[in-house]
Amino acid sequence: MILDEDKNIVVKCRHIKKTYGSGESKVFALRGIDLDVYQGELVMLVGPSGCGKTTFISIISALLEADNEGFCRVLGEDLSTLNSQEKTYFRGHSIGFVFQAFNLLPALTAVENIAIPLLIQGVNRAVAMKRAQTILDLVGLTSRSQAMPGELSGGEQQRVAIARALIHSPKLIICDEPTSSLDHESGQLILELLRSFVKKEGKTLIVVTHDNRIFNFADRMAYMDDGRIVKIETNVRTPDEKLL
Amino acid sequence: MLRIALQMLMGDRAKYIGLLLGITFTAFLVTFALAYFAGFMTQGFALISENNSADVWVMDPAVNSTEMTINMPSSALARVRGVKGVSSAAPLSLNDLTARFPNGRFQTFQMIGVDDATLSGAPFLYKRGSSKILYRPDSVIVDSGGTSGKLQTPIYQKDKWPFDGVHLDAPTRPLKVDDELLVNGKRIVIAGVSQTIHRFPPRPLLYTTYSNAKRLLPSEHRRLTFIMVSAQTGVSATVLAKRIEQQTRLRARTSSDFKEDTVRWFLINSEDVGDMAAMLILAMTVGFGVTGIMLYMFTYESLKQYAVLKAMGASNSMLLKMVFIQAGASAFLGAGMGVGLCAIIGEFVSTIDFPFRMMWFTPIFGIVGVLIVSITAAMVSTRPVLKMEPGVVFSGR
Ligand SMILES: Nc1ncnc2c1ncn2[C@@H]1O[C@H](COP(=O)(O)OP(=O)(O)OP(=O)(O)O)[C@@H](O)[C@H]1O
Ligand SMILES: [Mg+2]
Repeated sequence: MILDEDKNIVVKCRHIKKTYGSGESKVFALRGIDLDVYQGELVMLVGPSGCGKTTFISIISALLEADNEGFCRVLGEDLSTLNSQEKTYFRGHSIGFVFQAFNLLPALTAVENIAIPLLIQGVNRAVAMKRAQTILDLVGLTSRSQAMPGELSGGEQQRVAIARALIHSPKLIICDEPTSSLDHESGQLILELLRSFVKKEGKTLIVVTHDNRIFNFADRMAYMDDGRIVKIETNVRTPDEKLL
Repeated sequence: MLRIALQMLMGDRAKYIGLLLGITFTAFLVTFALAYFAGFMTQGFALISENNSADVWVMDPAVNSTEMTINMPSSALARVRGVKGVSSAAPLSLNDLTARFPNGRFQTFQMIGVDDATLSGAPFLYKRGSSKILYRPDSVIVDSGGTSGKLQTPIYQKDKWPFDGVHLDAPTRPLKVDDELLVNGKRIVIAGVSQTIHRFPPRPLLYTTYSNAKRLLPSEHRRLTFIMVSAQTGVSATVLAKRIEQQTRLRARTSSDFKEDTVRWFLINSEDVGDMAAMLILAMTVGFGVTGIMLYMFTYESLKQYAVLKAMGASNSMLLKMVFIQAGASAFLGAGMGVGLCAIIGEFVSTIDFPFRMMWFTPIFGIVGVLIVSITAAMVSTRPVLKMEPGVVFSGR
């Protein structure tokens, strides 16, 4: 564990580069990204399609390996030094994921889906299910615990997904387009929910989005274009008070 | 997580039932094909099964099946009877002969000449009388031997032995007792119609006494094809067979060894069996192929779910266990159902004279085959699971 000068720093990236393929078909997805994200912060990554947002959060969440230049330290771990087993462990314990497509397992009930991260860690099923029920209550779906994903609305599914991202108390939560499959109202609800967790429990949240209706939930906005962060803006219009 | 694997498996009802049906079908197909094959092979040694009181079969040293035979000198019988441990020895004569029906049609039969004294080897007559009827002059017992429509004689008197040439198209009915046939210019009388084990290949049979056979086939000098030996009590068939071989220089085989010899002979020499085996192998390959592909598809279509689990910290070994438990569970269930189905259908088809024998190895082959295919398919399908781009978890849809 390497201590950063600033103990509140959760993500520290310098000169992150990523190329896909080689020769003729080589794609420069990331051309050198510098970004710091602090604890308790909600950072939004925005930018045109294909600018490298997903690539970047994949690297931060140890799903994808960056090119050799630069470094990326997340929660004190230098990701380039982890082998694949350590990365798996790191993801399973430190990161929570929320996806655009929800990605719930269709054959499992809502509460079982939520329990998955704990089950993966080897937690006893009864304990995991009990904790899952508690989290389900927090996202306001107490009565839907036995529903299958197919029986839930998009907004409800995403709330289940959020519960799943939180159950193992990860310090960092990564969301890719969490609202683009949802209507406006559900999208607002999801962001309110996420933001309240960040602020109450001191989590850190990185959200990739195209959805300008939720920009006002961000503490900071990082604008990306063509593999670079072109602008970082601190959002002064955050309706914190309303939420807390 | 293994429970989750099973939930994933059964979650998509339609796909799961399809998969299970596929595996069931394959297990059924393989087991049935083998039982069918075993059924044919069983018919191949029908002659041995029919004479189950014989402990040892003695034959010319070059003979190794009931299918292709050459006869021994009749002195062999006395020599075999002289061997210590032999309780009784009965001659059996196999010859092909062609008999003419009253309307002029003819048919090749396998004539089985049995011991005059004991009639051992003659078929059991269910409906009426006993094989003693063979003691009447010129008597034979006919048997379809698994053929159909080959033992037909004319209905009307005018079509029998007509003076104006053959009546080949005369209306006919199946042979029955007291009908007459002509063999080598000699008249024979049907004394009984039997229904013994079907032959493979099917052929009409004609049972008669050894001395009748001698009369019907005067050209054959040697008529002794097999000697059926029963051992004295306390003498093992294997030991007796060895002893007979040493003392007579003939070939002597216990009946179970001789069955095996005959099956081996068919496998090596019979083109029919070769064709059949090729078809069975084709059927099995198709079945196995379908099962393998379905299992592979199942895992492949769940890749996204595996990717999600992997993103959330599931290790490769955990994912592999999940894939294998899914394959194993469906394989076991499908194989069980397939073999069970085969047993039920087998029970049914064997009542309609279908060659079908569930032998100990048939269900084992069915189950083991399906398991091997499933495990192989699972192994192949783990490749995309291990190689998958973690990025797929982020893509929309
Ligand atoms: N596996 C891959 N192989 C090759 N090229 C890739 C791969 N993944 C992404 N790319 C390319 O890298 C670039 C960045 O892709 P990325 O998915 O990170 O963009 P994005 O900002 O998330 O876009 P979107 O808003 O459409 O999701 C794109 O040009 C894309 O075509
Ligand atoms: Mg993207």
